[in-house]
Amino acid sequence: MSLSLSNKYISADVQHYLELLQVLVSRNLKVRYRGSFLGIYWSLLNPLIMTSLYTAIFGATFAKYYDDSIPNYILAALTGLIVINFFSAATSQALSSVVGNGALLNKIRLPVSVFPVSMITANVFQFVMGAYPLLAIVALIKSQSLVNVVAILLPFIALVLFCVGVGFFVSSLYVFFRDLPYFYELVVFMLWISSPVFYPAAIVPNSVKPFLSINPLSPIIESLRQITLSGNLPDLMMIANALLSGMIFAILGWAYFHKSRSQFMDLL
Amino acid sequence: MESIRLDQVCLWRRTQEEFSYDLKKTVLSIFEGKYRQPAKKLVLDNIDLVVEKGEKIGIIGSNGAGKSTLLKVISGILQPTTGTVRVRGKIAPLIELGAGFDSEISVIDNILLYGVLLGFSRAEMKERSDSILDFAELEDYRFIPVKGLSSGMVARLGFAIATDIQPDILILDEVLSVGDESFRNKCQKRLDQFWDSHVTILVVSHSMDFIRNSCDQAIWLSKGHLKLAGGSQEVVKSYLDSVT
Repeated sequence: MSLSLSNKYISADVQHYLELLQVLVSRNLKVRYRGSFLGIYWSLLNPLIMTSLYTAIFGATFAKYYDDSIPNYILAALTGLIVINFFSAATSQALSSVVGNGALLNKIRLPVSVFPVSMITANVFQFVMGAYPLLAIVALIKSQSLVNVVAILLPFIALVLFCVGVGFFVSSLYVFFRDLPYFYELVVFMLWISSPVFYPAAIVPNSVKPFLSINPLSPIIESLRQITLSGNLPDLMMIANALLSGMIFAILGWAYFHKSRSQFMDLL
Repeated sequence: MESIRLDQVCLWRRTQEEFSYDLKKTVLSIFEGKYRQPAKKLVLDNIDLVVEKGEKIGIIGSNGAGKSTLLKVISGILQPTTGTVRVRGKIAPLIELGAGFDSEISVIDNILLYGVLLGFSRAEMKERSDSILDFAELEDYRFIPVKGLSSGMVARLGFAIATDIQPDILILDEVLSVGDESFRNKCQKRLDQFWDSHVTILVVSHSMDFIRNSCDQAIWLSKGHLKLAGGSQEVVKSYLDSVT
């Protein structure tokens, strides 16, 4: 009897959490795209413009690393930029989410974690509507296989896990250190420049390469490129690699968030 | 039946002056060896409190005595450092109305948002949206973003949402003065209904007349201590005696 009762309460909590997530995400998207003509496709515009810029500047020089094909360079740059863009948008929005809702948290009892998670979820929604169809078309053309189209979601899940972990970490750190955004901008830039997005990994000197390989975004980008661009069947090893590091980051981020959560209310 | 029970609740909080808020300074101070743990202050000191279901309790005391903090502990917003808080039933906070609104989205979306934030389900809020709009007299504004409403209208909306549902425990921080004269009467009527029903009410107020007239019990907080608890008449009297 008591067990079934507690079960009922747990599921009611979970249900409330999901409903909170739903209203916060829809609020988020509505505010972002109210009255904008392109709507959710704005989120695609940024990587597309960046890709054309990089292609115009580096395309001709770097094409020889991509089988002498500028279209290959374009696609490699695009996949990388989509990942980096997702990461930078999702985590920067998550960063300010707890502090930004501080007034609310002081008035109503709410599960704090719903705020960073809602920011990431809003970005997931954008990805699924905007970038995913684009990647799916490329993968279908290159590989002629629906397996690859579906498999794109696996490195993407790794990316989401990674962003959740980082989002939890920075959103709780921001409660304690309000100058964090300046440092975080720098961190994002470092991750961005150290992942082979617009340059081929082959041009990096051997002495520097080990530093690039510790970038947690690299395995995700590599796996996504392998699935969308190579035309081969998905490389399970690469996917597992990406998922594993994503999961580790998600757990670490959550652990830090959970540990520092009790101190939030004194500082909000 | 007990509705709220606090057992030896103590709450320590970081003091305002100690807010460092700064990564650069903190890192520097660690390198210089000057880093110290932030100081904490005792805000609630060993509070024991039992509230029976249906009781109307007024909380009085000077500014900074811990009245709002006590309400936050009861609402579950703050966790006590030591001691236990037990609450039976659904709590509706009525603290500064409209805090959960997003001015960019429409009134109807805000009703859903605010309702879910307060702990109700979306389906429930959809059902109630008509009666809420009706009470707030905002039927014509359903799809208008909240930033297009006057501040009085926003307050009306907040009040209508928070009181549309019958909570088990109602928490009022300072007595509300919402909107124009006619709406104030409406609010008063609705609050009177709560007052006559079996809802447990906790109210913080600096209006001693209000506490004396509307609450049967009162507690007096002083610097985080529970100084006196009992019938509202005598608690208010000794509070006033101590002040003057």
